[in-house]
Amino acid sequence: MVLLRIRNITRVFGALIALRDVSFEVNRSEILGLIGPNGAGKSTLFNVISGFHRPDKGRIFFKDTEITGLRVDRIAAMGISRIFQEPTLFMQETVFENVFSGFHRHYREPAWNAFLHTPAANREEAVSRKKAAEILDFMDLGAMRDELAANLPHGHQRSLAIAIALACGPELLLLDEPVTGMNPSETEVMIEKIRQIRERGVTVLIVEHDMRAVMSLCDRIVVLNLGEKLLEGPPDKIKNDQRVIEAYLGKQVI
Amino acid sequence: MKLPDSLALVKAHRYKWIAIAIVLIALTALPLLIENNYIKHLLIMACVGTILGMTFSMLFSAGLITLGAAAFYAVGAYSSTILVMNAGLSFWAAIPLTLIITAVLALGFGAVFVRNAGVAFVIITLIFVQVVVLAVAQVEFLGGWGGIIGIPRPDPIGKVNFATKTDYYYLILAMLLLTIVVFNALYSSRIGRAWRAIKLSPNLAGTLGINPYRYRLLAFVVGSTTASLAGCFYAHYSQSITPGAFGGWLSIYVQLYAVLGGLEFYILGPAIGALVMTFVPEYLRIVKEWEPIITGVLLLIVILFFPGGILGTIRSPQALNMSNLQSLLKWLKVLLPHNKNG
Amino acid sequence: MSLSLFVQVLVNALTIGSIYVLMVLGLDIILRGTKILNFAHGQLYMLGAYVMFLFFQALHWNFLLSLALTGLALGLAGMLIYLSVFATLARRFTPTTTFSYRLLLSAMASVGLMMILQQGTLLCFGTQERGIQPPFPQIIDSFGVRVSLMRLVIILTSLVICVLLYLLMNKTSLGRLMRAVSYDPEAVTLQGVNTFWVFVFCFALGSALAGLAGGIIAPAFSVTPVMGQDVIFLSLLVLLVGGIGSYRGTIAGGLLIGLLLSFGFQFLGGIAELFVFMLVIVILIFRPGGLLGEAAG
Repeated sequence: MVLLRIRNITRVFGALIALRDVSFEVNRSEILGLIGPNGAGKSTLFNVISGFHRPDKGRIFFKDTEITGLRVDRIAAMGISRIFQEPTLFMQETVFENVFSGFHRHYREPAWNAFLHTPAANREEAVSRKKAAEILDFMDLGAMRDELAANLPHGHQRSLAIAIALACGPELLLLDEPVTGMNPSETEVMIEKIRQIRERGVTVLIVEHDMRAVMSLCDRIVVLNLGEKLLEGPPDKIKNDQRVIEAYLGKQVI
Repeated sequence: MKLPDSLALVKAHRYKWIAIAIVLIALTALPLLIENNYIKHLLIMACVGTILGMTFSMLFSAGLITLGAAAFYAVGAYSSTILVMNAGLSFWAAIPLTLIITAVLALGFGAVFVRNAGVAFVIITLIFVQVVVLAVAQVEFLGGWGGIIGIPRPDPIGKVNFATKTDYYYLILAMLLLTIVVFNALYSSRIGRAWRAIKLSPNLAGTLGINPYRYRLLAFVVGSTTASLAGCFYAHYSQSITPGAFGGWLSIYVQLYAVLGGLEFYILGPAIGALVMTFVPEYLRIVKEWEPIITGVLLLIVILFFPGGILGTIRSPQALNMSNLQSLLKWLKVLLPHNKNG
Repeated sequence: MSLSLFVQVLVNALTIGSIYVLMVLGLDIILRGTKILNFAHGQLYMLGAYVMFLFFQALHWNFLLSLALTGLALGLAGMLIYLSVFATLARRFTPTTTFSYRLLLSAMASVGLMMILQQGTLLCFGTQERGIQPPFPQIIDSFGVRVSLMRLVIILTSLVICVLLYLLMNKTSLGRLMRAVSYDPEAVTLQGVNTFWVFVFCFALGSALAGLAGGIIAPAFSVTPVMGQDVIFLSLLVLLVGGIGSYRGTIAGGLLIGLLLSFGFQFLGGIAELFVFMLVIVILIFRPGGLLGEAAG
């Protein structure tokens, strides 16, 4: 079943065509890799899907509802969570508060009741606190829940960013280079986490430069080059395709 | 959670309530201990300043910087004056009506202003104060530049007839406490967390489903309405208002309260700042002409060397910016021979 | 309205407008280059007028020489202000410092400076107005239209300064560096350029422009300690209308506000200012980023 449908997306920055007529689909509960050399338009595509950029042409459907050009927070509220490439966190807050803030869209009690601190609203918050603690434990951050986010090492900041996104309860998670710059053992742990996230029923769309990680993690892969879709298929097919190797010319592929 | 932690938490909680009780008793007993009417007047004005400073902090908590805290203060003062003097309403009926009027106005103007976060918002709010002052001064009905005099005192409740400063003190204290309770409820709810999220990272807040525009507008409306409450009080306390009283340095003093007390303390910060800024110049017997200069120097000193304000410095003294002080001295030494050019 | 009156009001509008253009160009260079919203800009303008008074009226130096020296003096003053206040402040920021916090603190610091400079001048020189003997007192009278030569000189001088500024920003490597810093200081730092002195230069240049504006206007109007306060509000207004970060917008906005105010005063009197404010709010409803600025805040 198709969760996200991207149809003929074009995005132009001045004279630069960042995306040209890109179409593909993300199926429910799959891990789809998005790869391509630098400047292929991967981050632009993420920005278009999550609402930070408006596409110049084309349409995007999420669960058969059109989300093209919606505001960032509307798209997030529909169930798409996005991780930024640079860890974007509430740096001056503790780890726990970071994740707790992620529950914003889950509250069903009206804001008025939250303001009055009615028992129902308080109960709702207590539930969120408990869930936040669970997510922290799941991402192995439980021990540092009272640290300031700014003081965490880089790898943990990435985990925290994912924890915040999970707090949103997304159906689709957009991960921008989650393991780039990590050492092999850290990468292994992160890959395992992403698999577990998928097992929780979250669909994952992932941009990553680490080919080994992408090949072992993804069910399918979409290759972008110079803003156009080059190829789409299972990892084995991508790995051996001459066009992909040419696109990465001069770069070590695997 | 580990047991000792939660014990400490319960303890800290209990101390907090004891501290609040002591402060409340002290604030209630204060006018009984003070004879001097002028000091009572200063106390009252410090309370007004605290309310205004808290409105600045509320917008700051949502990542907005206003230089126009005085605008809706003026709107409140004029609106309640007109409602009482021309429409013949009682002071107590004029207050809720004024709050509604300001809330509607703030919603309308805020809907335009809040679209521009960052630098543009700062400038717009600064200009808006000027617009309000000019608009009021141009209208004959509102007394022009001469203002309105002979504004009646609040109507008596029982034996309390607002003939003494003490009565006014209890009135503004009640308003202040009400504001604190409301603001605290907001900050401790998910609304306050959304504001904080928007302040710390608008992008991340957006991806969490928070609509920055709507929440900032809420902060603007609540802050403006609260400022108008202080305006209501001020008009009937001073019993005369002029447009000039709301322009000029007032909005700047208001943000100084928040910065001096400690920007990260949304309620206590403005209170400490307003108290210090009201009483210290009095006790230093500073000549009126020198006051802006002293204030300016004070502002620079706090910003450059005490990043957290008074409360922030008390909480974490190591944040005191000594290295800055030393490097400044170094710079001054280098620059001294050229100084006459400035 | 007679032709003579129309031309007089028009010249008046262009005079005021060109002053706003200089002021706002300075504000904008500082804002974009160093991310400081300089509320003390009006006081630099006022100091410019006083320095001009010193050179031109008290020392009887040549008009253009005095003006150039005024610009230089205020540039130096701006440099000192940046080094002593804003550079110290900038050292406190870390990469995690939020933008609103940086903006607030630097704006607050400039407000502190504003109060010190304003009241300091008031205490030093008193409240009385000081006139400067206009160097070009002649009135040009042709076809019944009477125009003060001084005002034409003001307009012309501002135009020359704008052209020089354009050349500086677009034709020199320093100008390109300044523009690069205003877009992405970190990228410039990565290329091995010491951005610190670019910041200093941006602030000094902005201050010099404010000083020049004050120096040019001084012979046409009188010099008072409070002259900076009126001009800063309208300059900020022009900055909003023109759009932050757009030089063309600044020039268009400055002239527009000058025209509106001059003709407004002529027909409506004191309430004109209010209408201009209202108009700005209406403009902001439809163009949140200003007339020619980018919509993003």
